Amino acid sequence: MTGTVTPVLEIEGLAKHFGGLVALDGIDLSVRQNEILGLIGPNGSGKTTLFNVLTGIYLADAGRIVFNDDDITNNTAQAIYDRGITRTFQRSRLCLDLSIFDNIMVGNHKRLNPDLWFNLMRRQRFREEYEKNVVEAELLVRTFDAPLADRLFDAVGTFPMIDRRRIEICRALISQPTMLLLDEPSAGMTDDETTELMADILEVKQRFSDLTIIIIEHEMGVIERITDHCVVLNFGQKIAEGSYQDIAADPLVQEAYLGIDE
Amino acid sequence: MDIGLLSQYLVNGLMLGMMYALVAVGFTLFFGVLDIINFSHGDSLMVGTFTGLAAYIALTEIGIVSPLVQVPIVLAAAVLCLAVLGAVVAKYLILPLRAAPPLNTLLITLMLGTVLREAVRLFYPDGSNPKPFPALLPTQSYEFGQFTLRVDNVIMFLAGVVVIIGVHLLINRTKLGLAIRAVAQDEETAKIMGINFNLIVLVTFALGSALAAFAGILNGLYYNEINFSVGLLLGAIGFSAAIIGGLGNIYGAILGGFLFAALQTIGAVALPFASAYKDVFAFGVVILIMAWRPTGLISEKVSERV
Amino acid sequence: MASLSPAPASLFPGLLGVFSITAYLTAFLHIESQIGTALLIVGAMALIALLVRFNALDHFQRSFAEREKAMNAAIVVAVIMLALVFHQDHFTLLLIATVMIYMTASLGLTVQFGYAGVLNFAGASFFGIGCYTSAVLTDGTTIPEVLIIVVGGFMAALVGVILLLPVLRTRGHYSAVITIAFALLFKTFLEVNDVLGGPQGLSVGSMSFLGWDFNQGIEIGEVFEASFYLNYVLASLVLLCLAFVFVRRLDRSWIGLNMDAIRLDETAAACFGYNITRWKVTAFMIGNAIAGMAGALYAMMLGFIAPTNFDFGASLILVSIVLFGGIGSPFGVAVATLIVVLLPEKLQILQEYRFLIYATLVILVLLFRPDGLLPRPVRAYFTGRVSP
Repeated sequence: MTGTVTPVLEIEGLAKHFGGLVALDGIDLSVRQNEILGLIGPNGSGKTTLFNVLTGIYLADAGRIVFNDDDITNNTAQAIYDRGITRTFQRSRLCLDLSIFDNIMVGNHKRLNPDLWFNLMRRQRFREEYEKNVVEAELLVRTFDAPLADRLFDAVGTFPMIDRRRIEICRALISQPTMLLLDEPSAGMTDDETTELMADILEVKQRFSDLTIIIIEHEMGVIERITDHCVVLNFGQKIAEGSYQDIAADPLVQEAYLGIDE
Repeated sequence: MDIGLLSQYLVNGLMLGMMYALVAVGFTLFFGVLDIINFSHGDSLMVGTFTGLAAYIALTEIGIVSPLVQVPIVLAAAVLCLAVLGAVVAKYLILPLRAAPPLNTLLITLMLGTVLREAVRLFYPDGSNPKPFPALLPTQSYEFGQFTLRVDNVIMFLAGVVVIIGVHLLINRTKLGLAIRAVAQDEETAKIMGINFNLIVLVTFALGSALAAFAGILNGLYYNEINFSVGLLLGAIGFSAAIIGGLGNIYGAILGGFLFAALQTIGAVALPFASAYKDVFAFGVVILIMAWRPTGLISEKVSERV
Repeated sequence: MASLSPAPASLFPGLLGVFSITAYLTAFLHIESQIGTALLIVGAMALIALLVRFNALDHFQRSFAEREKAMNAAIVVAVIMLALVFHQDHFTLLLIATVMIYMTASLGLTVQFGYAGVLNFAGASFFGIGCYTSAVLTDGTTIPEVLIIVVGGFMAALVGVILLLPVLRTRGHYSAVITIAFALLFKTFLEVNDVLGGPQGLSVGSMSFLGWDFNQGIEIGEVFEASFYLNYVLASLVLLCLAFVFVRRLDRSWIGLNMDAIRLDETAAACFGYNITRWKVTAFMIGNAIAGMAGALYAMMLGFIAPTNFDFGASLILVSIVLFGGIGSPFGVAVATLIVVLLPEKLQILQEYRFLIYATLVILVLLFRPDGLLPRPVRAYFTGRVSP
């Protein structure tokens, strides 16, 4: 279950504040190759902020991020994507008026030919690239849900939340990333849907041999089931780290979630 | 360059700056509270001026000729009518578009501005020609060496300062202002806290429009003339001023307003042969400022949740 | 595997539609009396209301969507037929050509607004840059006119980039205010510049192609004599077709997708590697180039241009067209152009109230039917079938 010892991602002393509000207060984090890391903590503890700094949406105020031995601190969001790091968003960010295929192709940006001449004049070649991508997208979507794959060209807005989350994950996977960041993928889902989604994620993990996943979740069942390692944040600081069993038993963690037992 | 001419430019610049600042504060209010760009703001100003003019004409018709009585009534008429107009616009055009993309609200206000402009041009008697606006304030001027100061300019400037301070106090020291700021920060939470969101929107719009009316009357008094197309350029200037100051920030808007006036004055001084170029110069510099500091000199409020 | 798509839609509803519209336009353009025109308008509105009520427009739309090549050919033929019917009527031909030129310019704006979400409230100014390029180049040089049209587009694109590049890193409303300021100042700038003719304007040379001067009437033997405007109708038809094909292909490619992505969600797009500035600039340049080319041809057709044609109001008309038609929908834009340009020409009382009416209508559209007349469908990269 656990990957090799080489850390693929190392975060040292990461800090981020918004005016007087300290969102990240010197985070040290290490993610091993091919593992699934669970990032948990109460609301407002800095989990999504960590993702945002990692993916270049926010600038870090202090600290270092090293990915595959390269310093990527404060790289632009575009550069982060080029290095093979993709993500989903806490508040689902899909283009509702566009088809499933279009949305997934957004995620495939670096593998699509943007040249004007190619797109407008070399229509035969473009068609070949297009059809190749349709097959690939369909295959990926089918991993999650076969009926969804049959409606590849319907507008995303016509689908319920669970399907949209799946589509968003497909969008993040289509470019064959080496690291995937999932931000509360099970939000808004029923227990059954969550179970399904988690099974899908594990299957995807199996198919993509070289994929590291960091997942933010509130559903402890999910964390317990699929993660190899967990990190707990509270008020922008790391308060615990270890396997799920370790952190579940940790009194600091319990206090963070449940409050101090008087 | 002699002191007299310089002082003329200075006074002119200050007056313009005051007017631009008032318009810019309006824009910033709309953006700060509702995240919307209200392109009809400049034209609202124009409607305010025409309302004031109509009130003046009505007053003279019924025999009231004392400026002491006229000024407050003209002001009140403009401000009240515009406040009502603002609330109506908010209720029927702005609130219904809350869920639509922001582009739609921008467009609808642009079209509203056109409707106001055309309505005045077509339906106000002889609307397409410039109209004289009476000089209701005392026009004596005093000499200070080579430096001349007109009483009405001083009064208008001071009135502008008072209004701006008033707006500042309203926003920062009253319960209403607190509600407005709460809504501007976080609509959802404000609603949960019991604030009547729709009412606050209407009030903000009424307030912004009232400001426009006030600026409109100032405009009329200063130039002694108004015409239906004055709102477009003023709106564009006010909006740019609000942007370079940092949208959502009242002090930024004021700063931006005076800055734009300063740029226009510099442009007029440097290029005396064509007055149109002063605007090109001023906007050119504004573009550069926007490129240099995209979030404004003081910063724009950002409310996006990722 | 995805299910096979059903049999392709019949050509008939589409052809019937094209034929009816052509017949209607012939009548509309022919009738002189105001009452007749008003009756025609009311009749059309009633018919459309009926069609919408009984969902009959769907057949028409499917026909169009799935038999696109045939439909496009039919439309081209219809336009030529229309032109031939009026081949000696200077004014009507001028009107037809003007409508097509406006459609072309509106297509340019569609790429900017509708695809990439870049606000441009100075469409008429960029159109005007094309016009003035045409005026200047036909007067002083011997550059072939077709090339002048291309240069007109190029100049409009260039000025657009200079204007917009500084503010592209910023939020959408910046490009809005910059283009508004440009639209306001463009006319004034022209008026104070005597080099460009000042308030009196400039005369423009005529279009010519391979030696054929478009300002000459057409005579074929003794039988056929046509107004010289017929030349321009054909030229603007060619330009419109080229622009249309270009814009369609653009939409149905990765580039169209890229523009949609940055319009709909810049932050997410950035997280997937999008160079936001690049796509906005591309869209802005393409849109302005198309508008500029349309302007260059227009100037040649009119023979004379003046600053009053290029004020803020003219830009607002272009914006109204794009909003009416349905942001991002080329066919919708075509229909909207027809309505916006033809109606005031034929119904004289509307002339004075044009802007008021357009602005009010756009407000109503935004409140009640924000998708416009013909809303934009989900992207289909290739017509005919929807999935493999």
